[in-house]
Amino acid sequence: MAGSATNEELLARWRDEPAPLLPLLHAFHDRDGFLSEDALRHVADGLRIPLADLYGTVTFYHHFAREPGGRGESRVCVGPVCRQRGAETLAHALEARGERVARMPCPGRCDEPVPVLRGDLVVTGPDAEHLSNGPTPLPAPPASTAADPRSGGFEECVFRHIRDPGRATLEGYRATGGYAALELALAAGPGDVIDTLDASGLAGRGGAGFPTGRKWRAVAEADGGAKTVVCNADEGEPGCFKDRVLMDHDPFATLEGMTLAAYATGATLGFIYLRYEYPETIGILEDAIADATDAGLLGASILGRDGFDFRIHVRRGAGAYICGEETSLLNSLEGKHPFPRNRPPFPVTHGYLGRPTVVNNVETLCSVPPIVRKGAEWYRGLGLGDHSGTKVISLSGDVRRPGNYEVPLGLPLRTLLHDWAGGPSEGRAVRAVTMAGLSGGFIAGDDLDAVTLDEPSVRSRGSFLGAGGIMVFDDSRDMVDVSHSAMEFFAEESCGKCFPCRIGTQRLTERLNGGGPRDLAEWLDEVTDLEATMKSTSACGLGQAAPLVTESLRRYFPEQIERHLTERRPDE
Amino acid sequence: MSDRNGRGGESDGAGAANTLTLDGMEVSFEPGETLYEIAERHGKMVPTLCYDERLEPFGGCRLCIVELEGSRNPVASCTHRAEPGMVVRTHTAHLETHRRTLMEMVASENREVDVDPLSGYASQEMATLVDRYDARTGRFAGHRSGVSRPDDDNPFILRDYENCISCYRCVRVCAEQEGDYAISVKNRGFETRITVEFDGLLKDSACTFCGQCIQTCPTGALADLKALANRDIPGETEKTRTICPYCGVGCSVDVMTRGDTIVGVQPAMDGPANEGALCVKGQFAFDFVQHPDRLKTPFVRGDDGELRPATWDEALDRAADGLGNVVRKHGRHAVYGVASGRAPHEAAYMMQRFMRAGLGTHNIDNCSRA
Repeated sequence: MAGSATNEELLARWRDEPAPLLPLLHAFHDRDGFLSEDALRHVADGLRIPLADLYGTVTFYHHFAREPGGRGESRVCVGPVCRQRGAETLAHALEARGERVARMPCPGRCDEPVPVLRGDLVVTGPDAEHLSNGPTPLPAPPASTAADPRSGGFEECVFRHIRDPGRATLEGYRATGGYAALELALAAGPGDVIDTLDASGLAGRGGAGFPTGRKWRAVAEADGGAKTVVCNADEGEPGCFKDRVLMDHDPFATLEGMTLAAYATGATLGFIYLRYEYPETIGILEDAIADATDAGLLGASILGRDGFDFRIHVRRGAGAYICGEETSLLNSLEGKHPFPRNRPPFPVTHGYLGRPTVVNNVETLCSVPPIVRKGAEWYRGLGLGDHSGTKVISLSGDVRRPGNYEVPLGLPLRTLLHDWAGGPSEGRAVRAVTMAGLSGGFIAGDDLDAVTLDEPSVRSRGSFLGAGGIMVFDDSRDMVDVSHSAMEFFAEESCGKCFPCRIGTQRLTERLNGGGPRDLAEWLDEVTDLEATMKSTSACGLGQAAPLVTESLRRYFPEQIERHLTERRPDE
Repeated sequence: MSDRNGRGGESDGAGAANTLTLDGMEVSFEPGETLYEIAERHGKMVPTLCYDERLEPFGGCRLCIVELEGSRNPVASCTHRAEPGMVVRTHTAHLETHRRTLMEMVASENREVDVDPLSGYASQEMATLVDRYDARTGRFAGHRSGVSRPDDDNPFILRDYENCISCYRCVRVCAEQEGDYAISVKNRGFETRITVEFDGLLKDSACTFCGQCIQTCPTGALADLKALANRDIPGETEKTRTICPYCGVGCSVDVMTRGDTIVGVQPAMDGPANEGALCVKGQFAFDFVQHPDRLKTPFVRGDDGELRPATWDEALDRAADGLGNVVRKHGRHAVYGVASGRAPHEAAYMMQRFMRAGLGTHNIDNCSRA
């Protein structure tokens, strides 16, 4: 329909839908190949949004093109891993072939560097001549084999069935235990679901680590309005690609998790806010939603239960890291400028349209059905020592077997790096790894052998596990350069609302790229002051976490900083 | 945000006293008050740059941070609502260090120039805080953030974004106070730019040139071009509180003069009718006062048909004769009175008494009817 629909038809299609702005903008963007002035005037008129606000909001998003043909240009990943793997070479090669090329931040395909986004296809391959579209790589099987020393008998939670053939279909999902949790929950009652989650110790797997049971209970007990469940699938953290594999290969797990959240909290409206860079995932989710609705597992009177109504809408983002922050995400859904909101109040009482709202990450939601089915004790037992449950780690960079690994919390980092993922290539050593994608800065030196994959251990090293992205850099990498590209990412993605983040990420980027004082003591004085004020006064996690990059650079690689300051190009 | 009062009210249950500890002193507060409002009430002089008391708190500049016991990081006092039992500190060494660093950061993106106070009501806020915190300018040197718009040749509003610090006060005052939604923000991060629809000129946008943006701007990035055009007139600027003569609303204004010359107008933030708001006429259209063509006496038409200056007595007699003649010749309903929209209630009332009791007709209206 998009090809020939009139402005009025597009407006009529979306105007009365929930959260209409993003899909309406995408409809014009898809039809015209860019967002024209005329399109924006129609959207502003149709949705009663001030034109200046709409114009400003559109410019906030990375992927909305404002020039004819802009949508179709080839977007090459220049994320931290891909820039080490020839992203620029690939971009130049594509340009030489006459393609319109743009650079984009990490699109969550670090297991197959270097991805290129062309319209609605992600293509990957060894070089510019051999790019093709293929499915998201499945996680490696956990079984121990001679060639794959990964072992230990650790049981998985969210990946338990993801490799089963047919799991992505409703029949396959149900054949492997799918929707048994929802039936159990309906028999036990909503309070029981929340009690089970409380007892399981499940905490948010998107990075913030808030206890899931407490969040659901707060929404269940909140007064006011139709409640909403939002699945945060805006997996924008560089080096994170776990939610993509969960949605692509096990989409019903996300839907069942959301439906359990709706049942437990009394919500009737659901959204999956999906990042722009996962175009293939949209169709997978929408097909799954249609199949579940046909089977009475979504929609009105779910599983025949009168009054249990829940509908899920997929909303596609448009390229903005900050929209993974839950209050920015809510503003984005509502069609507002996607700045983070001031908190309190929190989304559990004042979320989508000011109503009580559950916002959970994909992995968190996928963890819920197995927990409900197998019990809190089972889940707690999956972790090592005192740690409860599992975490998916997206591992990429300088290791032999990059990919997604579901690890028991408390697993030593070195076991994952060396035993499971094969370690660095021959003759190389691991110099540093990032934590929480980029947000946790680096772990290096002796800590590489000492740290275990759980928040207490990682936080005791001044970092955090977060969403579970780990990028590996071997001893051939220049850590000042890696830090510079990391900080440049934060500077580009800073929303611009609060001063410490907007200015601080820029100033740190400049200081990692030859700017600022030449004298080491002065350089350190400025950088440490910036770090301290950003960490303490930034309005959201972006500005609070970005300085962990320079902090860990100073901690582990002081000699690289000195070299950077003496060897940098002299000012003219 | 309609929820605020409701939430504040709920916390008042069970006889819980609405008190908290502010810098060691127990103080009471009203439900819904922010920590900043309470601190201001107690003279704490908490610094701000993105704050305008007429607008929804924004939480951008982070200068108003205070320490809140139990909170890992300081909180922005402008957005944080008071709750019973809070323990709040407004001026610890840590806070002051962060504030100084923040001022040095924000000064680093700004052109170092003295901003003429004629630029606007709040135009000295940034410079005052740079001095107060003894912010070391030159620290954190790097790219500057704003791009000025010398191509916008409107006669009222200077768009000197090289002084802009992206506090969004102009965006918010335009939306919340004026309801124009003309100003917005494009891009993000350090590339943030204050703009209007399609990055165009003010005259092609929804701007009504009310001047609210120039009066709330804390750096003079948006500035009063008409006042600045008078910057070379010698003498101290004096402000005289008066009422805008244009319409019956009665907006309070401070007329700025140097010697006998009006150099500009600023809205009175404490004006009871306008609370700092003005429209384009009250803000900018004061040239008539000193215009050579301005009428300074009444005129009456002579027998030759030409207008000539007259005294007020002459003119009023002539008008009274004219009205009287019409009534005598055509009856009392042959006259019709239209009160000026510029007249206040009292004058409008007098006008209708004049028509009804004086001339005996109900033919009375007001030009503001539309």
